Amino acid sequence: MSYILNRVFSMMLTLFLISAITFAVTNILPGDVAMMIMGTQSNPEALAGLRETLGLNDPLLMQYGRWIGGMLTGDWGSSLVFKEPIAPLLLQKMTASGLLVLFSMTIALACAVPLGVWAAVHANRWQDTAASSTAMLGVSLPDFFWGIMLILLFARGLGWLPSSGFVDPADDLGAAIRHALLPSLALGLGLMAHLTRMTRATMTGILKQEFIRVARAKGLNESTVVWRYGLANAVGPVMTVAGLQVGYLFGSIIVIESLFNYTGMGWLTYQALLNRDIPLIQASVFVIAAVVMLANLLVDLLYAVVDPRIRLS
Amino acid sequence: MAGDQTPLVSIDKLRVEFRGEDGPIVGVEDISFSIAPGETVCVVGESGSGKSVTSLSLMRLVEFGGGRITSGRLGFSLNGKQIDLAQADTQTMQAIRGDEIGMIFQEPMTSLNPVFTIERQMTDGLRVHRGQSRSAARARALELLQQVRIPEPEQRLKQYPHELSGGMRQRVVIAMAMACEPRLLIADEPTTALDVTIQAEILALIDRLKRETGMAVLFITHDMAVVAQMADRVVVMYRGNLVEEGPVERIFADPQEEYTRKLLAAVPRLGEMRGKSAPEPMRLVGETASNAPVTPIDVDPKPLLQVHNLTTRYPVKGGLFRRTIANVHAVEDVSFDIPRGQTLALVGESGCGKSSCGRSILRLSEPTSGEVLLDQTDILALSSRDLRRRAWRDMQMVFQDPFASLNPYMRLRDQVTEPIRNFGIHTGSAVEDRVSELFDRVELPRAFMSRFPHELSGGQRQRIAIARALAVNPKLIIADEAVSALDVSVQAQVLNLMMELQAELGISYLFISHDMAVVERVAHRVGVMYLGRLVEIGSRQQIFENPQHSYTKSLLSAVPVADPTKRNIHDDLNFRPIPSPVFPLGYKSKPSTYDEVAPAHLVLQNEVGLDAAPE
Repeated sequence: MSYILNRVFSMMLTLFLISAITFAVTNILPGDVAMMIMGTQSNPEALAGLRETLGLNDPLLMQYGRWIGGMLTGDWGSSLVFKEPIAPLLLQKMTASGLLVLFSMTIALACAVPLGVWAAVHANRWQDTAASSTAMLGVSLPDFFWGIMLILLFARGLGWLPSSGFVDPADDLGAAIRHALLPSLALGLGLMAHLTRMTRATMTGILKQEFIRVARAKGLNESTVVWRYGLANAVGPVMTVAGLQVGYLFGSIIVIESLFNYTGMGWLTYQALLNRDIPLIQASVFVIAAVVMLANLLVDLLYAVVDPRIRLS
Repeated sequence: MAGDQTPLVSIDKLRVEFRGEDGPIVGVEDISFSIAPGETVCVVGESGSGKSVTSLSLMRLVEFGGGRITSGRLGFSLNGKQIDLAQADTQTMQAIRGDEIGMIFQEPMTSLNPVFTIERQMTDGLRVHRGQSRSAARARALELLQQVRIPEPEQRLKQYPHELSGGMRQRVVIAMAMACEPRLLIADEPTTALDVTIQAEILALIDRLKRETGMAVLFITHDMAVVAQMADRVVVMYRGNLVEEGPVERIFADPQEEYTRKLLAAVPRLGEMRGKSAPEPMRLVGETASNAPVTPIDVDPKPLLQVHNLTTRYPVKGGLFRRTIANVHAVEDVSFDIPRGQTLALVGESGCGKSSCGRSILRLSEPTSGEVLLDQTDILALSSRDLRRRAWRDMQMVFQDPFASLNPYMRLRDQVTEPIRNFGIHTGSAVEDRVSELFDRVELPRAFMSRFPHELSGGQRQRIAIARALAVNPKLIIADEAVSALDVSVQAQVLNLMMELQAELGISYLFISHDMAVVERVAHRVGVMYLGRLVEIGSRQQIFENPQHSYTKSLLSAVPVADPTKRNIHDDLNFRPIPSPVFPLGYKSKPSTYDEVAPAHLVLQNEVGLDAAPE
């Protein structure tokens, strides 16, 4: 329990630092919120009036205080581009992207773990080389390349899946899944490569351990030895890497969502940046950081479940 | 025991090869011996002798390490028939492993799967081989834990391996191997990683289980003392070949082969120094040069090193702000002197504080309080600059693991040169001369100077570590388990080298070791440590011939003697687990008070938890 409190406390500290940095950076950037709202041709007096009402003439620290206060109380302000309150907008887009993250992670793990174990069992033989080369292929080609290939194959060629767009799972779950599948695959391929290498490395180490030899000496069959005795020890490390990849995913999502015209967080952040929608930029960065950190906290808590040696105190 | 019955195991002309980069490497060639039902056969040999390869071949586990049985028979009597395990298919082997043949390994810390409970690991063999239900297997596991005398067995079943001590884990591993009542137990160095008192317990346990169940034991070890205690018959191996085989008494009393004689000669036997006041070199057959008796040098009555009330505590951090929440009392009010040209041995089991004591003297771990005087210089008062320049020139350290203490990227010449340059002892061509002289001194060919550490054997590497320590002409060398990782014959050579250097250069040693038999040969004075305190200190004769403290006595009684006619590991001994050295902040520990039972023979009077009831 004190471990969780400890982690939550340090998470809050990090979030505070992130909020301060984003706030500072977005204020240093050229561009003026009032001008963004009223347009470049607007009347200088009206601009000055708007600046005054928005509080843009106040000291930075005061502006920051007002902003963070709003964030904490649920008043996240309105987007300048979308002319909508930010909080519900972010929630909706986060759901869309959450679907992508979940799918791509599932696809990546489902492929990477068996492939990595297979490579480790046949370490330094042709199977290992084959698995490593496959993994290397995934890593060395960028996500958007896979995206384009997938669109050409499954959407244009075979016509199985839609090439772009987003459907809210609340409206039509089947359609939502179909739309999420291709972008998830494109993201998952890059992820899979990392996770395969990680699984292989972890399992190679584990299979050399004495308890594996002891398990064999007990007369257990080889699949029990590898998939139960071995893999149970690899779950923790692999999960940790997968958790760290969530951060990397939110980076890749910007490209992939734009490519597939999938209107999630990545697409939203991109729009916000293009249009210097400063309140939206600040809020999105903040939310993405929080989600990534929560994912990692979750992984660390799960680690304690799969590995009894980790004591959460 | 053994006799006219058909043998349980008959290994015939076994040859095992491993895949190497340049073609196959022979692991063992032409090994033949047999094991009768109920018999203990010890296979003994130094590292690389192929003893483990032999036992792994019998289980056909050698294939998982890249080995291949290329020829020979592994006869095993199964249900009255002889089958050849070398030809057996995977299914047959899986049925035999864990059922007919149980196996235990060296490292109790890694032999158990860390993420499964003890119950799961103890029962899965029973469920596979006997098809038992979960509850039946659990009942059997409980019975087994009682048989290996593990306290509170119900509790243990629910626990994970990390919650058990090393000795406890090895008992679990043994219980696991015994689950299906195998007719053969293979024990591959089962006590090498354990402290001597726990070793004694485990050896007694294996011996008792053997007598109770009538199973045969194939015992793999490098330790001649263990062989003497355990074996009915002995198989001596060297570089993949069988050297000699015979009943244990015959092997020890009348070894036929040169190698066996050498091996036995190099083994120190506890008690053989009785009545001798000065240390003596180890016996080395056929190497008369380094076998010359060491002439004791005149002892300067002024002590070189004086340690007074040395206390070292390590903080235990915890909580939200990583504050110190408790202290490990690693060294607790320890005092001793080392005269010039003499050796003080610090002995004790893991965690007793002997290494921390050595490190504290050098201030590699900063002591909490106390006084360390080297030639009247107060070491603890030195600035870090003076500590480096002066103290570390006079005191050097040799560590246990010569793999880890040499830099793998540096040539040996440079590693020995480094301290000479750092301390500005020689300059120019004198440096090169000094390095050559040091290589001669530790009896390494000068051609080795341009080599890298991985090109040397363990013993040669340790010689380099000694040469590096000698480079600065130290007055004191702290040798922390310096010969523990070496094979016995190499260990004997390195010990003799250290004793020669002492006689010629008048160096003092603080010899930190867990090996009582070695200490008996090399030390002038001996200090026994327990839970951070020095519980007894005296001359070697006083400690070994007239131990006074109950801990010293139990420690000595646990050491196996390398003599089959003196079996001292009888029944289950139950040594108390060592209590925790972690104390709350602000805990006031009492100063150590000693009783001088004889001149310079001190025995601790404090209560150290030895007589307290176990937890």
